[in-house]
Amino acid sequence: MDKMNSKALKPYLSVLDIFQNKNVLSIISMIIFLLLWDFIVVRGIAGSYLPRPIEVFDRFLYILKNPLAGKTLVGHLLISLKRVFIAFIIAVIFGIPIGVLMGFNQYARAIMKPVFDLFKPMPPIAWISLAILWFGIGETSKVFIIFIGSFVPIVVNSYNGIRLVEPELYDAIRILGADYWQEHLEVTFPGSFPAIFAGMQISLSIGWTCVLAAELVGAREGIGFIIVMGMNVGNVAQIIVGMLVIAAVAFLLSVGLNYLERKVCPWKKQIET
Amino acid sequence: MEEANRDIKEAYKIECINVSKSYNYGEKTEVKVLDKVNIKAKENEFVVVLGPGQSGKTTLFRLIAGFERPTAGEVYVNDKKVASPNPKIGFVFQKYMLFPWKTVIGNIEMGPKLMGISKKKRREIANYYIKLVGLEGFENYYPNQLSGGMKQRVGIARSYANNADILLLDEPFGQLDAQTRMFMEKEIMRMWNQEKKTVCFVTNNVDEAVFLADRIICLEGKLPGRVNKIYNVDIPRPREFTDIPFIKLREEIKNNMELIL
Repeated sequence: MDKMNSKALKPYLSVLDIFQNKNVLSIISMIIFLLLWDFIVVRGIAGSYLPRPIEVFDRFLYILKNPLAGKTLVGHLLISLKRVFIAFIIAVIFGIPIGVLMGFNQYARAIMKPVFDLFKPMPPIAWISLAILWFGIGETSKVFIIFIGSFVPIVVNSYNGIRLVEPELYDAIRILGADYWQEHLEVTFPGSFPAIFAGMQISLSIGWTCVLAAELVGAREGIGFIIVMGMNVGNVAQIIVGMLVIAAVAFLLSVGLNYLERKVCPWKKQIET
Repeated sequence: MEEANRDIKEAYKIECINVSKSYNYGEKTEVKVLDKVNIKAKENEFVVVLGPGQSGKTTLFRLIAGFERPTAGEVYVNDKKVASPNPKIGFVFQKYMLFPWKTVIGNIEMGPKLMGISKKKRREIANYYIKLVGLEGFENYYPNQLSGGMKQRVGIARSYANNADILLLDEPFGQLDAQTRMFMEKEIMRMWNQEKKTVCFVTNNVDEAVFLADRIICLEGKLPGRVNKIYNVDIPRPREFTDIPFIKLREEIKNNMELIL
């Protein structure tokens, strides 16, 4: 009798099992989102300024193949990435030493920390006007804005990374006979590295989201330019393509960096999963 | 005066003479943690410092290890006044303090590595002590993949591998569950029998103290920490928790502890 029952329940259970798979749920959620979007457009609920998903996709394919202001989508993307990476490298070169110095030296901390606390909550976009006044509308002002956005998290994380190394680990390495340099090589460096790396991750993703702000003004190329141009000519599909490309690249960057983190900090893999 | 006193005595591995330690919190609040503590440990002796929480046990060990200086009095290790962390001492921390970015073998060979011993040689040393503490098969695990008992085995092996001749164990089993704890007590006895060292061991657990110690130094129950009483334990090893002399001594210490609490 019991066996009969469980057999009868089986197909019903297996349907439920599919819904318990998180990937299946994610895909269903995306499909519902697209259907809802399409429904809203077709019914005219959002007015005439929202294209259908399929139109956005068509536009995506179009600028992928046909140059827009001299460059295809990939060309614009590379321009934006180049700006972000230049700013990011500058932020790393200056940010890590400053953060590390603040972590080690209480005087350096006392001098620099108030300045950073002042600048920390300031959105990078607030710097646009100054950037244009100082550097004009060329490359420099764009890199500068991205740099402002990515510099602060690197400094703050490097500083915290150094400061938050478990102090008793220094006792542990000293009692094993470490000298000053061995202490830093074996404890300070590996102990603060995950936080510094996390700072670089945050910094790169903030830098990427700043790229639009940087390219809103006077740009003739880049992903931000695609959006601004879409706005100027009233091509909403193109605006949305630009937005989606920014999101997709941000996502890929974070996946790549997480992968890299697992490679360089293998001892953290237990916590990650 | 104290110097003169020292001359007539036999050689001790560890000697604390009238050691006091105070901490200053703010301008005027001074907390006295240790008050004129005298402790001695002979070569290969197993000394247990027994005291309830907040009796200055950890501070005493930090002074012996050279992590901190005493406010008054002197600490001698191997007849030398302690001035800085001394690699002849192995310190096993209550909270393990393994290097999270190093595997088991990486942690254990850290001491030899710092001394510049070749990779091949230090692997040999590490493997020997991995065997001693019973961690074969876990060489390439990271600390966060280990249980508390295993972490503490790594801590002990790390001290052994650094060729320390004195081991300071600061409540090493305080974070373990009761069963693991009893097992580890037997294990530390086995390791100590296999490779004798001078051991100082902090605990708040009377059973643990009686099971392990040649000598039990009982601290008072509140700050500042003072030596209350010293028991010489001559129960033959291996000891059982149910031996009559074991139970007698345990009761004696417990009754005494109740008085000081």
